[in-house]
Amino acid sequence: MLSKHAMRIILVVISVVAVSGVGLLVKAQLIPKSFGLYGAYRADAIDEEAQRVVRHGTNASCFGCHPYEAKTHLKGDHKTISCEFCHGTYSDHVKSGKKIADLPVKKGAEITTLCLRCHNTEIKARSTIVIKTVAMPDHLEQQKVKLTHNCNQCHNVHAPLKYINEAKKITGLMEEH
Amino acid sequence: MNPNLYEAQSTLSHGASMLISNYVFPNDLHVHWSMMIVLYPYITGLVDGAFIIAALYYLFDVKSLKPVARFSLLFAFAFLCCATLPLLLHLGRPERNFNMLLTPSPSSAMAGFGYIYAISMGVLSFIVLFVYRPDLVERGKKSKGVMKLIYRALTFDSDDLSKKALELDTKIIRFLVGLGIPVAAVLHGYVGFIFGGVKANPTWSTPLMPVIFLFSACVSGISAIVLAYIVIRKLGSLSIDAACIKTCIKTLTGFFILAFSFEMLEVFSHSYLKTGYHHMVEGLLNGPLASSFWLWQVKICSVIPLILLGFMAFVKMRDSIYLPISTIVSAILLLQVFIMRWNVVIGGQLMSKSARGYTVFHPEWFDKEGILAVIIIMTIPFIILYVLGKIFPFWGDAIKGSISSKPVRKTGGN
Amino acid sequence: MKIEDFSFDMDRREFVKKVLNGAIAGSLILVFPMDTVGVDSQMGISQSDLNLRLPEEIPGIKNNQYDIHRQKFAFVVDITRCIGCGSCCVADKREYNVPDGNYRTWVERYVKDFDDQIYVDCPNGGLDGYQKPRDDIQTGVRDTFFVPKLCNMCKEPPCVQVCPVGATFMTPDGFVLMDSQRCVGCAYCIQACPYSVRFLSPVTKTAEKCTWCYHRVRKGLLPACVEVCPTGARKFGSLNDENSEVYKILKGPGVLTVLKQSMGTLPALYYIGQRLEVV
Repeated sequence: MLSKHAMRIILVVISVVAVSGVGLLVKAQLIPKSFGLYGAYRADAIDEEAQRVVRHGTNASCFGCHPYEAKTHLKGDHKTISCEFCHGTYSDHVKSGKKIADLPVKKGAEITTLCLRCHNTEIKARSTIVIKTVAMPDHLEQQKVKLTHNCNQCHNVHAPLKYINEAKKITGLMEEH
Repeated sequence: MNPNLYEAQSTLSHGASMLISNYVFPNDLHVHWSMMIVLYPYITGLVDGAFIIAALYYLFDVKSLKPVARFSLLFAFAFLCCATLPLLLHLGRPERNFNMLLTPSPSSAMAGFGYIYAISMGVLSFIVLFVYRPDLVERGKKSKGVMKLIYRALTFDSDDLSKKALELDTKIIRFLVGLGIPVAAVLHGYVGFIFGGVKANPTWSTPLMPVIFLFSACVSGISAIVLAYIVIRKLGSLSIDAACIKTCIKTLTGFFILAFSFEMLEVFSHSYLKTGYHHMVEGLLNGPLASSFWLWQVKICSVIPLILLGFMAFVKMRDSIYLPISTIVSAILLLQVFIMRWNVVIGGQLMSKSARGYTVFHPEWFDKEGILAVIIIMTIPFIILYVLGKIFPFWGDAIKGSISSKPVRKTGGN
Repeated sequence: MKIEDFSFDMDRREFVKKVLNGAIAGSLILVFPMDTVGVDSQMGISQSDLNLRLPEEIPGIKNNQYDIHRQKFAFVVDITRCIGCGSCCVADKREYNVPDGNYRTWVERYVKDFDDQIYVDCPNGGLDGYQKPRDDIQTGVRDTFFVPKLCNMCKEPPCVQVCPVGATFMTPDGFVLMDSQRCVGCAYCIQACPYSVRFLSPVTKTAEKCTWCYHRVRKGLLPACVEVCPTGARKFGSLNDENSEVYKILKGPGVLTVLKQSMGTLPALYYIGQRLEVV
């Protein structure tokens, strides 16, 4: 026959087991539904991530409404440059096919800074084998233009050699004459 | 980026060809695990070490530890109560902490925390209740109303103090303490493994990490018990049991030799193996951590205590000299373990995964994980201890023979 | 010098900051997950635009049932073509409104001098591009190259292994993603990632990382960084599509490397022209 003390202790053990059991039951209830479908994670999180809003479009989506720029851009050496890099994201500009806000257009010195992000010989990088680079202000001096000139005063930003080639065509014709 | 980084770098001569630019990955500039993660292993370490003292008495029958046995249980309990506080303060989303219990990932070393902590808390609480049952029964008899109910609950509604009942209690205590040792070892060894299991960080990823953490935990816990015992007894003008302190110090010496040897073994292995990241670890210890590691952790807080401990072991001395030295050694070793945790946790993160540079850590005062929060968290266990002392008397011995203004309590022995 | 106009992002960040600073809202974030505050939802491309105005860039996904167990993708970075313009970094920041000082992707600059010393830097994660040469190199520059970094989408991801609550995971189609509703913000994954591509968002207080624009891929669009890369240094595509560039690169004879191979993480991000100096 067990003493009262021993009975009390057995009661304590039973209650510890009971509390743990209840705890595990509560735990089972609180685990999210899709948890464990593919692994030890919430499978719904995949779809939630897939539903995240898209903010960048593609160049093609811009050209749909900007055929003039598209024509220049696609013909020039800058055809691989993303419209949205210079102008901002599609989602800030268009909603359900309608314009909701203007996107910024770079002006003046901003343009030079932007160009030199890629076309700067000074950083002595390998970009020279991928694209053409220039050193400033040497380039301006060589081309005999004012040092205050911005790049877009000679280069069309969408097709950088457009004006240059046109000018060459004209001067070339003149030389033939 | 911090321009000081470049200056700090120029002082490093070793491995300079790799480190010259002090390049830190952009996301590595911020130290994500800061003082709270230093504090957390420190607190669980104190719990572990204090528990070892209790285990030596209750399981391994080291009789001389009787004076501190019950106190170390309470001490361990008070600190275990606060072990989760630094973690909660650290978490970005503390309100979601129960996710750890709900969906613990089977692959993660950290996921076990909730369960390991719950088990250690349960085991330790029951040990305390069984150890104190005779006292609680006596007190319950004398009290009235709500307090009487509380005492009834704490004694499992059993006022049986017969020899047979107490023998059963002793068996249960031995069983629980026996269970508690692996639980405590897992609770703290796993903290070490949390660091040791991060392969991305060369200063952390070593199998020695759990071992170092375990031994240093014992060092800090035993030091804390020695220091607290001496200070509290002195403040209460109570006698100090020199034999008990001597046993503690001997145990402490053993654990500290192991802890320090492994700490040095880790550094030695790094510098001898000269693996790919060696230049980074060397640069870290000789650069950003030069003073906190070599000067503070090794020279001041390890070599000096080692000399003192050796002196205490080999030279016969009077208690009046032995006890003050014990106090000093314990205090230094408490600091040693804290600095060691700092150097592992924060030091390890100063090294960018770029293997090319170090970031800097500036402790804030009023941050959620700042210095003030550290002070508050370290104060709470002592408040808990004080409150606990009202119900659970610290010292097993009757207070006869000491000059005390406190009322003499009748306490039950074990 | 700031080149990019971040006005939209700035407004939003300011807004979020204000919300967070508000005392009431400050206590509300403890109750409501921050990620459901509809900051992004208003600013995304509308469904009709997605259907009508956006072309399909990854064949076979748009208007098809997406079989998550069949899809396989790869990302290839060609270092020899990267010019360090930072378009990818800007696009990434805009696509996700990445909080300042944290980076889902970045571009590093490696400079080698005539003493074979390597200087690496990455000011502001490359968001502003590299406009100026380094001025602390005495012996002259032998070579400069740029290395874009992003999530390696490891097949053995250490971040997934260590996450205690299953808040980061690898999908059956091979993406390592975050569940921001479960993340407790312990930062263990940040410690575990050998590539340091993770950060704790100061806005949501949860871990965030590059997803290879999973939301775009699932709509047949290229990741934003690939979309804007002017030189084709970043390439992404389906390995089920034998005509895709990445398929041809991966099945071809060219040399491909991964970052920190010794970590045993088996990245699905491959590099062309990777130099020894790159970590």
